[in-house]
Amino acid sequence: MTAFVLKINRFTMAFGIALAMSTIGVAKAEDGEYGVLMKTLANPFWGAMGQGVEDGAKEAGVKYFQQAAESDQAAEPQLNLCNTMLERKPVAMITAAINSTNLLPCLKAAQDAGVKVVDLDGNLDPAVLDKEGIKITFRIGSDNVAAGGQGAEYLVSKLGKDAKGPVLVIEGLSGNITGAKRAKGFADKLKELAPGLEIVASLPGDWDRGKAASIATDTLTAHPDLVAIFCANDGMALGAVESVYAAGKGEQVTIIGVDGNSDAVKSIKEGRLNASVAQLPYLVGKQAVENVKKALAGEKVEESIAVPTLVLTKDVLDAGKEPMLQYVK
Amino acid sequence: MTLLSLQGIRKSFGAVDVLHGVDLSVAAGEVVGLVGDNGAGKSTLMKTITGIYRADAGSIEFDGKDILALDPGQRRELGIEMIYQDLSLAKQQDVASNIFLGREPTRKVFGLFPGFVDKAEMDRQAAKMIERLGARLPSINRSVGSFSGGQQQTVAIARALTFNPKLVIMDEPTAALAVREVQSVLDLIRRLRSEGIAVILISHRLNDVLSVTDRIVVLRHGRADADLVTSKTNMNEVVSRIVGGGDISAAAAHEQRG
Amino acid sequence: MASEMAQPGFWARVQRASVERLHIRLESLLVLVALSAAMALLSPFFLSLSNFLNILLATSTIGVLAIAATFVIGSGGLDLSLGSVMGLAGVAGAFVAVNLGWPPVFAVIACILAGGIAGYINGQLVTRAFVPAFIVTLGMLGLARGLALVISQGRAIYGLPAAIVYIGQGRPFGIPMPVIILVLTAIVAHCVLAYTRFGRHTLALGDSEGAARAAGIRVEHHRRIIYTLSGALAGLAGLLFTARVNAGDPTAGINYELTAITAAIIGGTNLFGGRASILGTMIGALIMGVLQNGLTLLAVQSYYQQMAIGAVLILAVFIDQYQVRKESRV
Repeated sequence: MTAFVLKINRFTMAFGIALAMSTIGVAKAEDGEYGVLMKTLANPFWGAMGQGVEDGAKEAGVKYFQQAAESDQAAEPQLNLCNTMLERKPVAMITAAINSTNLLPCLKAAQDAGVKVVDLDGNLDPAVLDKEGIKITFRIGSDNVAAGGQGAEYLVSKLGKDAKGPVLVIEGLSGNITGAKRAKGFADKLKELAPGLEIVASLPGDWDRGKAASIATDTLTAHPDLVAIFCANDGMALGAVESVYAAGKGEQVTIIGVDGNSDAVKSIKEGRLNASVAQLPYLVGKQAVENVKKALAGEKVEESIAVPTLVLTKDVLDAGKEPMLQYVK
Repeated sequence: MTLLSLQGIRKSFGAVDVLHGVDLSVAAGEVVGLVGDNGAGKSTLMKTITGIYRADAGSIEFDGKDILALDPGQRRELGIEMIYQDLSLAKQQDVASNIFLGREPTRKVFGLFPGFVDKAEMDRQAAKMIERLGARLPSINRSVGSFSGGQQQTVAIARALTFNPKLVIMDEPTAALAVREVQSVLDLIRRLRSEGIAVILISHRLNDVLSVTDRIVVLRHGRADADLVTSKTNMNEVVSRIVGGGDISAAAAHEQRG
Repeated sequence: MASEMAQPGFWARVQRASVERLHIRLESLLVLVALSAAMALLSPFFLSLSNFLNILLATSTIGVLAIAATFVIGSGGLDLSLGSVMGLAGVAGAFVAVNLGWPPVFAVIACILAGGIAGYINGQLVTRAFVPAFIVTLGMLGLARGLALVISQGRAIYGLPAAIVYIGQGRPFGIPMPVIILVLTAIVAHCVLAYTRFGRHTLALGDSEGAARAAGIRVEHHRRIIYTLSGALAGLAGLLFTARVNAGDPTAGINYELTAITAAIIGGTNLFGGRASILGTMIGALIMGVLQNGLTLLAVQSYYQQMAIGAVLILAVFIDQYQVRKESRV
């Protein structure tokens, strides 16, 4: 008899758990729901983007549901999440794929079902999409080429267009499209604006602070008169900063990063890191939602939407007057 | 006719010498009691017979064959069975699974796939053996871990007797049993003898040993110290041979070595 | 010896029949049904063929790993390297197909071989060097992951041939290939574990090594086979993963071994060995799959999903131990 009672309790427990869980953030399915799939919420970058999506949805009067994988390497779990979200029959799927192929089966199914597909933060490779026959509604993200160019513009504004000297570029993960674009954007713009500044080395730092530090140290040894270092992200820039200051060349070398994360902001305010080209993930998220609404209403939307980036320097941060600063989270 | 003959068996575990050259022989249909103090090496000696332990030196002949190189499964096939002190049962498996462990009957499924265990056949034979032992168990299909100690031992005994053994070794079979159950174990030993099956009985209950054995071997300091004929000896003599009379220094040295 | 048990009640008899005939614990099946019913009530999207196939598809990679875990844990061992070996195998297969350009069948062989070799090494170390399985497989966890990163140079390997991609994304008769592979593997594995000598010896080994030895089972030899088999299954899972995400990803499978072990435990496998069933493990994996699927459909954040899985695991073990203690005489 006790066994039978225990059996009933087990059912109630399982039922109860399910019910309890469901009271947390339930959104009943209605027409026009957007599905938003991030990489992971563990990174403040994505947290800011999520905030932008939320505010954008509120302003546009749109319902959405959001999910994220447990890490930015969980490729299969993200695919499973995508498939399941598709079962909820959204009208649009806004996805930030962990790599350029893991969501393809899901996106294809979405396209077949007439769901609008959006590439959030430019993680999908256009060549791969063409091969699979997937036509996305639009991609939105920071323009990484322009961001690199802004880094070059800042450097030239600081040193002057007649400046001469060796420059080091530390790229991202070898083969990664984001890092490659930033490095190329910087290099091209620099050649255009100040041909006297010569890039003597362009090496992959793998987004790693320690590796960038080693590269900086080695390059300083080979070129003691180094005038600038451009890094494809802030983590690596902060590594380079340590090396440069350890060598006592803090005043001589101008160091520029990309992302504008909080560590970089702190370093800039302290006067160590010179500048960072900040991405505005909040704006990316917000504008993604706004543009989906437009696309669903039948309006024309750019295929590739570039959200501007902002160069952060000590002056800009101290003045605090730049309107876009509010979007730097 | 000698069924089992051990000569000069030595066994050490690392630095600890447990058996220092044991000689032992058992004839078919003979019941031999093996007694000795704790640490004398009784269980170890038995495990060298069944093959769980490999003797470091010496020879073991069974039924005329040298079995020193054979593994436990092969020795079982020759007819050597043991009922261990801890029973060595798989507690989460049922009666038939335990009895037939290592020698499960197989059948072909759909006439095509060989190697499938014939559970129905196992259950049938297991039930028959349990009945022959005159025991009743709660269920053939329940895990033996849910049985009482005496019932579990019935399963261990059935396992030892099902495959026509020639030698059955029992290690402290009556230690945890009630009075009535002890008697049925002793009756079982007598029945085995009458069927021509040899038995080695390890027990510290000397009354039981004296009542059912033909010979008593006393193990001391890893050696067979005495080989007594049961009908010609008595409790006092056995105890004094176990304890060892005046040989205190040898006892101390043995204890020191472990 | 008279029987001391009272005639068991109806419910107990049903439970026992379920264990003996089907080799699954009735409780697990009932929890799965109850959970599914709850999800169906709470979300209008749950009850559909496409969603069921979706749940099975999402469970396929973990399911194969859980089968491996079931064998190993059933034998009294432990394999913490399942996820890493899976990642290594996937990278090995992708390397063979893309970097070496060999025909797809060699890639499949490479996956299973890489996994099997890793498992073989585990088995050798556990049985010959007498290092505990926990430590050996923990070491292999790091070793395999590192090797995967070395082979792939830290980046995913793209450009897999169509035949491989079909294994992960094809849908013959509308059923996803990984699901078909999982079901076939589970059926074969279940028959081996429940009905063959090898399977029964595996469980006896986990139950009591002494009993197995006394029964003439070659304990160390058997364990080596189990670990090699476990590695090969992890290799198969690696193939499925790679084919699904269309890339040889060196970071594949991080933490998957824990999920696989969880599925086995929820399904009724005794963590200390001696009791295991593949069907039970599949039910355990499905319980987790239904939970995740349902909660995602209800737009519950993935962090709460992880809490729910943890709670179900503790509940399952508690219920399991309650039963065990009730039945045994301690």
